[in-house]
Amino acid sequence: MNHNAWLAALTGELRRHGVGPDLTGHVVAEAATHLAKSGESPLRVFGPPDAYARAVADSLGGPDVRPPRRHPGPVRLAARGITKRYRGRTVLDRVDLTVRAGEIAAVVGANGAGKSTFLRICAGLLSPDAGTVAVHGTLGYCPQDGGTAEFLNPDEHFVLIGAGRGLGRAAARRAGRAGAAALEWTPPPRTQARHLSGGTRQKLNLVLARLGEPDVLLLDEPYQGFDRGTYLDFWHEVWRWRDAGKAVVVVTHLLNQLDRVDTVLDLTASRERDA
Amino acid sequence: MTRILVVAETALRELVRRRTVLIILLLFPLAFYLSRRGDHLGQSIRFVCLGLGWALSTAALFAGSAARGIEPRLRLSGYGSLHLVLGRLLALWTVGVLLSAPYFLLILVDQHDVRYGAIALVMALTVLVAVPFGLLLSAVLPRELEGTLVLLTVVGLQMVMDPASTATRALPFWFSREIGTYAIDHTDGGYLTRGLVQGLSFAVALTLLVAVAAAVRLRQRRHLRFA
Repeated sequence: MNHNAWLAALTGELRRHGVGPDLTGHVVAEAATHLAKSGESPLRVFGPPDAYARAVADSLGGPDVRPPRRHPGPVRLAARGITKRYRGRTVLDRVDLTVRAGEIAAVVGANGAGKSTFLRICAGLLSPDAGTVAVHGTLGYCPQDGGTAEFLNPDEHFVLIGAGRGLGRAAARRAGRAGAAALEWTPPPRTQARHLSGGTRQKLNLVLARLGEPDVLLLDEPYQGFDRGTYLDFWHEVWRWRDAGKAVVVVTHLLNQLDRVDTVLDLTASRERDA
Repeated sequence: MTRILVVAETALRELVRRRTVLIILLLFPLAFYLSRRGDHLGQSIRFVCLGLGWALSTAALFAGSAARGIEPRLRLSGYGSLHLVLGRLLALWTVGVLLSAPYFLLILVDQHDVRYGAIALVMALTVLVAVPFGLLLSAVLPRELEGTLVLLTVVGLQMVMDPASTATRALPFWFSREIGTYAIDHTDGGYLTRGLVQGLSFAVALTLLVAVAAAVRLRQRRHLRFA
């Protein structure tokens, strides 16, 4: 691994370990200076980028846990009394959720608790038996699977979704590639979606949901197939979107990030209440 | 208009990349043509038109089914259901014209003493009818196998039923036998008129039904309000 590749990898790893941009720049600059002067191999001097970044993060007392935004904006999504039954079985029972601009809501629950059903109802893809959803602004939706076209490459996906959002071809490609870069992914220009790995296809899915900067983002377990690094990148992106004033709803069954969201909707409670 | 063209372009790209499907699509009507080429030249024209209709309907059925997964996302991204329907129709009609052209040339070279203009009309109507027919099947029958079986039944009936019987007029490709008879056997203009009326009626009705089916399936649900 040459100096530049190692430094680039270190930059990504520091970000994943929650080190802020200023400190990351400082650490990387110092490492670059040292490597330039010594002429030694970075792996020999510092070790693998991941291990070195972890050591830096540990020396700072752990990742930078940001408190939730104190002053969330206006209501962007308001779901009221959502009830859904399948063949006589109540899956969702009078579920309410309010998400404001600059907030993240996590929807959690056991398998079959109705997490995806709730999100599909919020997206307007499924009708509830009772209840209403009000969306103030535009909506972006990332399904758990599907949502891409097998025979189109990533750029063609960007153009297709972008046209719906009113973006021209070049602008859609630029926006798509910028979104992909934030997930440490460079979309291959000619690879069709069917040839992408499961995790990479989910990255494409996520980037598509973000195209056109919708005000409300509904993400249904979008990290399926992500490796650890991409999973951390994903959460950093979600926090960045929150900081940019977006309302984000994430369906998840991974509870280790719940301390970093603003609202938790536990659908297991809804089922238990019904029982 | 931009949205319709983008949908059409991407639908065409998807179809062009299914190379095996394209080859089968191209050769399928040829098999129909050659099957009657030896014993009855005129019948081979009727058969090739039916083969074109079958091939195009099948392509439309599978294209429609493949698009079901991404269409709700496109709808949420700002497309209207009409953008999606018209874009896909445009792409498949284009494929239909490109698919029909070599067969028309083949008939021009291989067949004599027939009304070429009427044969071109049969092919044009076949393209106009077959595409929305396949798309409609994909809209009302979500599983491809079910749609394929219905298609098989319709085309099979079209081939075995007596074209003179009233019931066959309810089949979507009846016009091809009627106008085909006018073109091959030089019958009176009544055949042409009846075929034209039936073909155009089916083309319009099927296209409208496809648009309605998409509007219903991709409608904005009543519980959701955008402020």
